[in-house]
Amino acid sequence: MNNFLQAIDTLTIKFALTAVLLPLLAFVFNFLLPGRKSKLAGWISTVAILFSAVLSVSVFAKVWNTGHVVHQQVIWFTISNTVVYAGVLLNNLSALMLLLVPVIALPVHIYSTAYMKHDGNLNRYFAYLSLFCFSMLALVVADNLVLFYAFWELVGFSSYLLVGFWFTRDKAVQANKKAFIMNRIGDIGLLTAIIILFTMFHTFDIEKLFGAGNLVSKSTTITAKVILTGHATTYSSSWILFANSGNTALPIIWQYIAFAGIFLAVAAKSAQFPLHTWLPDAMEGPTSVSALIHAATMVAAGVFLLARVYPLFNDTELTILAVIGCFTAFMAASIALTQTDLKRILAYSTISQLGYMVMAMGIGAYTSSLFHLVTHAFFKCLLFLVAGIVIHQMQHIKEDNQLDIDPQNINNMGGLRKKLPFTFIVAIIGGLALIGLPFTSGFLSKDSILIQSFQWTDGRSGVFKLVPIVALLTTWLTAFYVTRLIVKVFFGELRLLHIKPGIKLHLSDGNWQYKLPLAFLVIGCVFSLFSINPFLYEQAWIFKGFAANGGLERENVYHSLVPIGVNILSVLVMYAAYAVYVKRKANPFPQKGVLFNLSFNAWYFDAIYNQIIVKPVLVLSRFAFWFDRRVIDGFVNLLAKAGLTLAKLSAWTDRYIVDGFLHLLVEIVRIISSFFRVFQAGKVQYYLFSMLVIILALFILKIVI
Amino acid sequence: MPSKWRGSFKYITLLATLVQLGMGIWIYCNFKSGAAFGGINHEGQFQFMQKLPWINLDLGTMGKMQIDYFVGIDGISVTLLLMSSVVMVIAALASWEITSNLKGFFVLFLILDMAVIGVFCSLDFFLFYIFYELMLLPLYFLIGMWGGARREYAAIKFFLYTLFGSVFMLLVMIGLYLSVKDPVTGNHTFNIIQMMNPANYEQGSVFSILSHQTLFGIQARTVGFIILFIAFAIKVPVVPLHTWLPDAHVEAPTPVSIILAGILLKVGGYGIIRVCVSIFPDIASANAYWLGLLGIISILYGALNALAQKDLKRLIAYSSVSHMGFVLLGIASFTTEGISGAVMQMVSHGFLSTMLFFLVGVVYNRVHDRGINHFRGLATIMPKYTVFVMIAFFASLGLPGFSAFIAEAFSLVGAFKSPSVNGLLPYWMAVCGSLGILLGAAYFLWTLQRMFFGRLNLKGGSVWRIALTDLNLREKIALAPLAIIALVLGIMPSLVFDKINDSVLALVQFMHLK
Repeated sequence: MNNFLQAIDTLTIKFALTAVLLPLLAFVFNFLLPGRKSKLAGWISTVAILFSAVLSVSVFAKVWNTGHVVHQQVIWFTISNTVVYAGVLLNNLSALMLLLVPVIALPVHIYSTAYMKHDGNLNRYFAYLSLFCFSMLALVVADNLVLFYAFWELVGFSSYLLVGFWFTRDKAVQANKKAFIMNRIGDIGLLTAIIILFTMFHTFDIEKLFGAGNLVSKSTTITAKVILTGHATTYSSSWILFANSGNTALPIIWQYIAFAGIFLAVAAKSAQFPLHTWLPDAMEGPTSVSALIHAATMVAAGVFLLARVYPLFNDTELTILAVIGCFTAFMAASIALTQTDLKRILAYSTISQLGYMVMAMGIGAYTSSLFHLVTHAFFKCLLFLVAGIVIHQMQHIKEDNQLDIDPQNINNMGGLRKKLPFTFIVAIIGGLALIGLPFTSGFLSKDSILIQSFQWTDGRSGVFKLVPIVALLTTWLTAFYVTRLIVKVFFGELRLLHIKPGIKLHLSDGNWQYKLPLAFLVIGCVFSLFSINPFLYEQAWIFKGFAANGGLERENVYHSLVPIGVNILSVLVMYAAYAVYVKRKANPFPQKGVLFNLSFNAWYFDAIYNQIIVKPVLVLSRFAFWFDRRVIDGFVNLLAKAGLTLAKLSAWTDRYIVDGFLHLLVEIVRIISSFFRVFQAGKVQYYLFSMLVIILALFILKIVI
Repeated sequence: MPSKWRGSFKYITLLATLVQLGMGIWIYCNFKSGAAFGGINHEGQFQFMQKLPWINLDLGTMGKMQIDYFVGIDGISVTLLLMSSVVMVIAALASWEITSNLKGFFVLFLILDMAVIGVFCSLDFFLFYIFYELMLLPLYFLIGMWGGARREYAAIKFFLYTLFGSVFMLLVMIGLYLSVKDPVTGNHTFNIIQMMNPANYEQGSVFSILSHQTLFGIQARTVGFIILFIAFAIKVPVVPLHTWLPDAHVEAPTPVSIILAGILLKVGGYGIIRVCVSIFPDIASANAYWLGLLGIISILYGALNALAQKDLKRLIAYSSVSHMGFVLLGIASFTTEGISGAVMQMVSHGFLSTMLFFLVGVVYNRVHDRGINHFRGLATIMPKYTVFVMIAFFASLGLPGFSAFIAEAFSLVGAFKSPSVNGLLPYWMAVCGSLGILLGAAYFLWTLQRMFFGRLNLKGGSVWRIALTDLNLREKIALAPLAIIALVLGIMPSLVFDKINDSVLALVQFMHLK
């Protein structure tokens, strides 16, 4: 029986691995494909992801809710006495993500074959897209933190490649640099956290660390003094693991630093405050990329990471998550109110929705967070694809009529519902799901978060009430900006006609490569895919898959009151927005004032970061170089000069003192000798005379003495 | 050789390096691993050993002077040896750009090659020192005669810097020689392995552990360690002894830059492990904090300097300083992870810096300019070149899947583990080290953005536009293996770790024996 089970597991693993590796194969193939543009590239990638999707469905069916974790690993490498494994870990969480990624990626691939077909570098595009899919799929099944980190960064790398796909545009390459560097901040946070966990628990294995009976939950924090045998470490308060193989302890601060590292990673990848500013800029990439990477999958990786390491967090840390998530949701929604770029509005909306997910993790609504991740993937991807169609059509208008307009500015749009009826309908459904009105999937997931946020505040001090209240407020802001977006794009008359009457319009929804993906994604926007009952999130099947559940019983009044309150007000807000914008007043609200500017300039985060981080770092680097040249090298050159001077000095000494002394000696000898030479003149009279003088002198001396 | 064979010199050199590479691969494949082959302080555990009496002067009553031709390799040297032979082949390929005085160039090149391999193999300090000094001379002429505009300054600076270190090393070497006796023959010896054993020190000699002799009021062993460390730290280079490096690199021709960055810097790191730490383990572990601190300073300071550069080659030179800082940090941790990471980093940086300098050489040969601001949008006219640049840059900034990631990550793991394993380094050092990874991303990506992306805009206008052709076959042949090696080592780091593990374990064990 055991063997049989193992064989099944092996098969499941093989399926999962194939699902992961197929896109890699497509990447390699497309990379090596000669030429730059061939239809083949698109189909290779699409077929690969199609098979991945099929395989992942079967993996999902085998793993989901069986209560059985499929985990196999092989030795990757041994570093001294630490063995690092590589393997596949399939539990409910990874099975869900493994299913979600190819299912979202498939329509995007199909869409891309049409959307990108005029691009000169089609092969490169699909190669990158497949690389992304590979990294993302590998990320969700990776069983240890080193692998996880590797794919975490590869995901960021493929995003870097895709954001900068049109590398001749300065804005695009600036955006991808910014995205990568901000993600790098998160990466080093994650790396630090991994290192701390490894030091503490001596393993990288996710299952051992966070799985059932995990090491993390066995560790405790104590505030007493700990002295471990082996070497004297004394900490006033410690994070300690009592294990058979020996206890390990770190100062308590490192538990918080591990959390901070993971939080940075999440904030970078999932665009949370304070590292959110890269995501709106990343919209410089092709729209299909934005749909897949910057709305549905990659940005959700941060939430996935939270789910993976969830047992690590203590109550304080969870509260921090909740507050930051809530703040991010509100801030991004408030920015989305005033933006005019179609994709940027959606980007801020993504940030806002990710904020909900992080907040949900923080308040303990683990499953709701993942549920929202799944539903959001569908409707946000849908909305981006819609945006892609709209932008494409605007681009056509621009090119056909040689206009100088920004095809992404919603102020130029309007009235497109007649020209693009299919797009319009799916956009409405997607928009309603984003707002979270009943009968959509967004209703189920968002309301479950809101309800649980109210429950969470029970028994906490009044300040915490702000969290659910701000979250509520944010849903109304969401209702407003979504309505504004849809009305400005689809209702009324085409704005361009007011500016330039008589322009030619050839607009259409596009062929099946556009329509099929949209239709496919719409299925995920309605309740029926997730729950039989459109009103009760508690009955959604996703909730049955995770242990860390809360708020499933309709135990209190929140379960009825919150959805009703939220939705009635949302509808009112929507009507208001509709009423305001459909009348096509140019600027129904004053375009000035502190609040407007704050929102329009995205709370000035970019400017602030530029001033207080980027510039000082550059100044510091210039200073370092100056220091290097002037001080260190200056010192070295000074030494060299000193050496030279010393050499000159010694040469001088040699010449004038040492040699001089010798010359002096010579001179003295010469003087003495020439003095005596005087006496040796060879005249006898002279000799006689001198003898007489000496004898006289002797006598005188004798007499005197 | 007559000079009419001028055209064939480069082929002969290439052939020689290829043969050397073949031998390197053979040695690597036949290198046995296992606890019985740890090396470090056990003479019997070295492999491919050769020991011949070389200089045996009978000094009458003072015994015999014993200098052996003693070579052998253990896990630490084998990977560096193979790496060096690969780098030499690439450097030979890069030498195609040399046009003047070919005979002299290739003669010096091969002498240098011999000296480098000699350093990595010698186990006799005297032999080691001779090879070590032998590297200097050819390099001095290679930079001084085939270099750029300020070549004399750079060459002299390089030469004096390194000589400064090695002259004092000579003193320590003689001191060690006088302190250590071969237990078998009873003679004084230069045998490095016997210098590691405290029992071999003569009672009351200068460097004996037990006698606590002092020089200038400091423990003699500390003085010895510091002097040896400075000698090797100049080579690594460790801030603040690094300023010869940017000048030497900027002025040196491409093949010499490749050898400098790819191999010479590793000689420093290798020397620290083989000589400094192994002979003075007590002092090394007592001063680990300062070693680690210097490592951190090198990482951050090098990275910040790189960020400020306007010359591509100088940028890469400073990035070398930063990356070699990880080596020092890893060694300073004295944990198995840290030292393995450090060796891995040396191997990985050997390949990657070779690649980077080769790539700089490509663009410099075409237009004789390297100013980062003078180019823009190169990706449009040199797509293949850009692909290689991206591989090299991303591999260098530690993208997982390439070798540098594993190396840097494990250096940091080692550094972080150190306080709880042996209490040598504080926790914050690892955290600061990881900031270097962030800065690495910043300067490489900024360069990519400025030079390769955006609209095409060259300082030299249409002349440059014509001159800047994409990679030719020779360049592709040189670059492709490097890219593949970097990738393979990143995916299968066991290729390196399997060979070095036993030696690293032996070293760490030896360190704790004291």
